[in-house]
Amino acid sequence: MSTPATESASRVGARATKAGYRGTKVRRQRVRAAWMFLIPMLITLALVAGWPLARTFYFSFTDASLSDTAGAAWIGIENYLVFDDGNWYGILTDPVWWQSVWNTLFFSVVSVSLEVVFGIIVALLLNAEFKGRMLVRAAVLIPWAIPTIVSAKMWAWMLNDQFGIINHLLMALGLIDSPLAWTADASLSMWAVIMVDVWKTIPFVALLVLAALQMLPKDCYEAAEVDGIHPVKVFFRVTLPLITPALLVAVIFRLLDALRVFDVIYVLTSNSTNTMTMSIYARQQLVEFQDVGYGSAASTLLFLIIALVTILYLYLGRRQLGVDE
Amino acid sequence: MTTAKNQTVARAPAAPATRSALASALLNRRLWLGVLGWTLALVIFFPIFWMIVTGFKTEAEAIADPSLIFSPTLENYAEVQSRAGYAKFALNSVVVAFGSTLLALLIAIPAAYSMAFLPTKRTKGTLLWMLSTKMLPPVGVLVPIYLLFRDTGLLDTRTGLVIVYTLMNLPIVVWMLYTFFKDMPKDILEAGRMDGAGTLQEVIYLLLPLTLPGIASTGLLAVILSWNEAFWSLNLTSSQAAPLTAYIASFSSPEGLFWAKLSAASTMAIAPILIFGWLTQKQMVRGLTFGAVK
Repeated sequence: MSTPATESASRVGARATKAGYRGTKVRRQRVRAAWMFLIPMLITLALVAGWPLARTFYFSFTDASLSDTAGAAWIGIENYLVFDDGNWYGILTDPVWWQSVWNTLFFSVVSVSLEVVFGIIVALLLNAEFKGRMLVRAAVLIPWAIPTIVSAKMWAWMLNDQFGIINHLLMALGLIDSPLAWTADASLSMWAVIMVDVWKTIPFVALLVLAALQMLPKDCYEAAEVDGIHPVKVFFRVTLPLITPALLVAVIFRLLDALRVFDVIYVLTSNSTNTMTMSIYARQQLVEFQDVGYGSAASTLLFLIIALVTILYLYLGRRQLGVDE
Repeated sequence: MTTAKNQTVARAPAAPATRSALASALLNRRLWLGVLGWTLALVIFFPIFWMIVTGFKTEAEAIADPSLIFSPTLENYAEVQSRAGYAKFALNSVVVAFGSTLLALLIAIPAAYSMAFLPTKRTKGTLLWMLSTKMLPPVGVLVPIYLLFRDTGLLDTRTGLVIVYTLMNLPIVVWMLYTFFKDMPKDILEAGRMDGAGTLQEVIYLLLPLTLPGIASTGLLAVILSWNEAFWSLNLTSSQAAPLTAYIASFSSPEGLFWAKLSAASTMAIAPILIFGWLTQKQMVRGLTFGAVK
């Protein structure tokens, strides 16, 4: 009984019972408290995300209009595709819808790519040491913090075909002969929108990249410098691979934002088909044409496309995203 | 590492650069970086600068050849208020932004507490699911929410906007608070528990005071996001509850010329953020990067 082994064993046993006791009662109490704390948030989120989404999904199979949603009749997939009198109808046959799908994808891919490139450049610059770096960092941050509506209006003013300063500057520099209609011209308006979006979002990408840059080990760079390796090569061989996880996070955030883009385009070019995106298309059907059934079908497709892109992206980049930390 | 060191030793005597030449090269590089950095800042800041300048011009000066030489006037600011009732929209923005932020914090603090200190197997999944709702295209839920608001009389009310913004910001607020709470040493809470503090006391007397900076920066982010929001304010409000974003989006003037007035109104709409943001730069950087930059 008094051998050290049994003594320690009985001590452990006593501790275990004590801990077990605490574990059962207090622990259970705490877990219950945890759920109590979580429930308000879970309910609100389920209400705001789940229920309306289900309703939109349901509406897309009805002929509901904004003034009469109660009397909506189930019409199957007619909003999406229907064969009637020798012709196909429905959203999947609407060239404007496909135009807006193309516009959205084009806008997303081009603007996110530009944002990543410029974001990295800005971040590298902000990571270097020079006088007034903090002030520059603050100035660079501003476009991201102000309302998109305001920045879009501001750019609409600068891009104005008659009085805008951009046309004045370009003409003064002799780059163009006559003023350009930036937001009205079919071939220019998409680029104008992309430019404004890139201007607005560089800070976000730059800050995420900057955060990654500041955590990089310094000795790699010292070693590279000592070996006399060209800075460009150092960037592509050392820096870029090390900041890739941060870039992937920035890209997914930006991509998901870009795919549902609304306000920049709404202010700059309104409902013009040259720049119409899926969100603008769906909103026009829902609010302006009051065609809830058809608009809901567009919303549902938009939702499915975004879900698909997200899943694809997470699948391709799951290892680097570091979700499990 | 050893090879690098050996090379330095081997190369050092052969290198032609003297100490002063090296120092001046470094100085030169810093100078160029400084010039580049400042040019970048000026280019990025220019559109905002131009808007502020335009706001102080008369409408005739605004559409004349661009120039920085003019006599500044405040008439646009006065007119924006007297003709369009700017103050009403500004008040709507303030009430809605702060109201929704307070409500979101109230719901999010308990949730973040439970996720940070009482994690279960599903915590990570819940967090990710929660963030994923942020990725929903708002147009996908527009009509159901519109109908709900119409039937409950919330359309074009500030209460309605507060509710929508709270829901919109909730995931990001919970996420941010979660990262702040997780950084807090657990021992302090445990010490409190030993001293017999209940969960509520633990939260009120220990957690909240200790993470106040984090809560403040989360709140700041929520205020800015609500202040900047446009989709819901455009679609759910008209004349009564419209905040500044809806007001500026639909800004026009019967006389045709309105660029100077629009610039003045826009300047006022971003002024609070510029001032607020300047004072709380660090927190804002953290907020805008969802806690990635500390």
